[in-house]
Formats: sequence, C-alpha cells, structure tokens
Amino acid sequence: MMKKLIGKAGPVVLTLIVVVAAVLVGRYLWDYYTNAPWTRDGHIRADVVQIAPDVSGLITEVKVSDNQLVKRGQVLFVIDRARYALALKQAEAALAQQNAGLLQAKREAARNRGLSDLVSKENIEQSEARVQQDEASVAAATTAVEVARLNLQRTVVSSPVDGYLNDRTPRVGDYVSTGKPVLSMVDAHSFHVDGYFEETKMNRVRVNQPVEIQIMGETHKLRGHVQSIAAGIEDRDRSNGATLLPNVNPTFNWVRLAQRIPVRITLDEVPADFRMIAGRTATVAVVAGKGEQP
Amino acid sequence: MIGEIEIYGVYFPSLLILMVLAFGVTAGLRILLGQLGFYKLVWHRSLMNFALYVIVLGGFVVLTRGW
Repeated sequence: MMKKLIGKAGPVVLTLIVVVAAVLVGRYLWDYYTNAPWTRDGHIRADVVQIAPDVSGLITEVKVSDNQLVKRGQVLFVIDRARYALALKQAEAALAQQNAGLLQAKREAARNRGLSDLVSKENIEQSEARVQQDEASVAAATTAVEVARLNLQRTVVSSPVDGYLNDRTPRVGDYVSTGKPVLSMVDAHSFHVDGYFEETKMNRVRVNQPVEIQIMGETHKLRGHVQSIAAGIEDRDRSNGATLLPNVNPTFNWVRLAQRIPVRITLDEVPADFRMIAGRTATVAVVAGKGEQP
Repeated sequence: MIGEIEIYGVYFPSLLILMVLAFGVTAGLRILLGQLGFYKLVWHRSLMNFALYVIVLGGFVVLTRGW
C-alpha cells in the first residue's frame, strides 16, 4: 500500500523539484538581465570649447590643421595684424597730440602764475583748469594706446586648453567676427562616460560604485566609477501655456516607459591603444562591489 | 549580460545565442534521457523538458558571466 503510494507520488515529486529549481533559475535570470543596473544607452562625452576671436578681421594665417592635437597656449590662427598695427599707430599719434597740448597748457599756466600782478585771477584759474583737462586727455589717450595694443595682441588666437581641434578649421581669407565661434576644440582632459540609466534601476546605482564600460566595436573593457548622478531631468509631461498656467499632458497610464537618468562616470582604466572619441556608444554596467550588495 | 554579437551590422544580445545553444543542448539531453528511460519516472513530460531547458540556460548564463 505504502510502496504503491510512493511509486505513484515519485514522478510528481521529482517533476515538481525540477520545476521549482527551474523557477529559481528563471528568477535569477530575470534579475540578472532586467533588474541589474546596466544600460546600453551610454556615450563617451567631453567638454567642447568654442573658439571665438576677440577681434574681427580677415584671417591671414592658420597654424593648425584638422583634428590636430593642440597644447594649451599654442597659436591657432592669426587675424589681420596690419589693420590693428595701424590702429595702434593712430592711437600713439593721438597720444602725442594730447601730450603736446598738455605741455603747451603747462607753459601757459606757469607764465600766468609768474605774471600774477598783471593777469586776472580768473585767467590763472582757467589756465590751470586747462592743464588738468589736458592731463585727463593724455590719460584717455594712453588708455586708447593700451586698448589698441591689446587688440593687436588678440589678433593672435591661441588655444585655451590641451585638446583636439575639430574638423572645421577656419581658412586663410575667411572673415571672422568678434564673439562668433569659428572652431571648436575637444578638451583632451575632460573625457568621461555618461550612462543613461532607466529610472527603475536608480535604486541600485550609488556614487563611487565601480563600473565596467564596453565601447561598441572594442574588444577590451574600460573601467571607471560612478562620479555623480544627475539631480534632475526635464518633465516631459508639463509645459507652461501662454497664460503661464501649467499645461499637463494627460498621459495614458497603463503603458509607461521608464525615463533615463544621466549618470556621470569617471574613467579609471583605459587601454593604452584606445582612442577616445566623444560621442561613441558605450554599454555601461555597474559592478556591485563588496559590501554593496544591492 | 552586456555582451552583444554583431551580424552584418545588426547587434543581438548574447542571451539570444545562449538561448539557441541551450535549446540544442536540451534537445540532445531529451534524446539521451529518453533512451535511458528517465521519462518513465516523470509526471508531465513537457513540463519537465521546459524546466530542464531553463536550468540549462541558467547554467550557460552563469558560465559566461562577465561577457
């Protein structure tokens, strides 16, 4: 009787044991692929400096070429020096003129003071006032000379950072305007990775956690750590209407997509032969460190 | 987990390859177990086969961790 029961129950028990094991494995797989903090939506990023000249003019000389690595302070291009050299000369001439005027005013004032019995007090005061005026004019002309000299210096545009030129360099003969960027540079010391993690995974991402980075098409992995997590992203469902009242999008609540939160990652280990290119696609996986079991 | 396989510019997750591999292995396992008469001791044959498949797949995933 007992034996018969065991004989009947045996297959059921065996099957159920295997099924329970399969359920546990399935749960592990779900956690491993779906809940673990990793994302294929990551990119290498770098700070980009836009170079704009401080003076307008024709470019007379370009000292760099496309995609070149440039040191800080290295000359990039030169703008029409002749025009600004002439402006400096003009300012210097104006200064000389003012100086001559001042000398003359000083002589007159001294003479009037010497003849104080014959010259009215008013005249003496007037001549002294002219000395002061001319001194102010000389100061203004001196400043104008300094400005002209500064402008002449600024005709040589040099690099503010160590970095790579991007592929749009100005050409000789281009006219550039003050404050209008003509080329951009990628700061060579600013490379980092931004991982855009789904918000459902954020509770498993912590600052300083180690991170593995796989760049698309590369065989070797890069290593880094979480440097910081963005404090805010744009609320896509809300805008301000014309009356400044909130305009909230009536979303359909059943199917919702997790939004992405930028997580900034500092690179610690990069293979020597790896060439950093801002914008490359990266897969980013947070490695749960010891004692940081999520 | 983060691995991917490129086939002419189309990227597939490595899980897809592991699933195909696990299916092949499980198919072989089925034939072997059938010849050994294992299925006489089994309650629902299909349920057992599916459970075996999941376990084999889990084994592959654990073996290729870090890919």
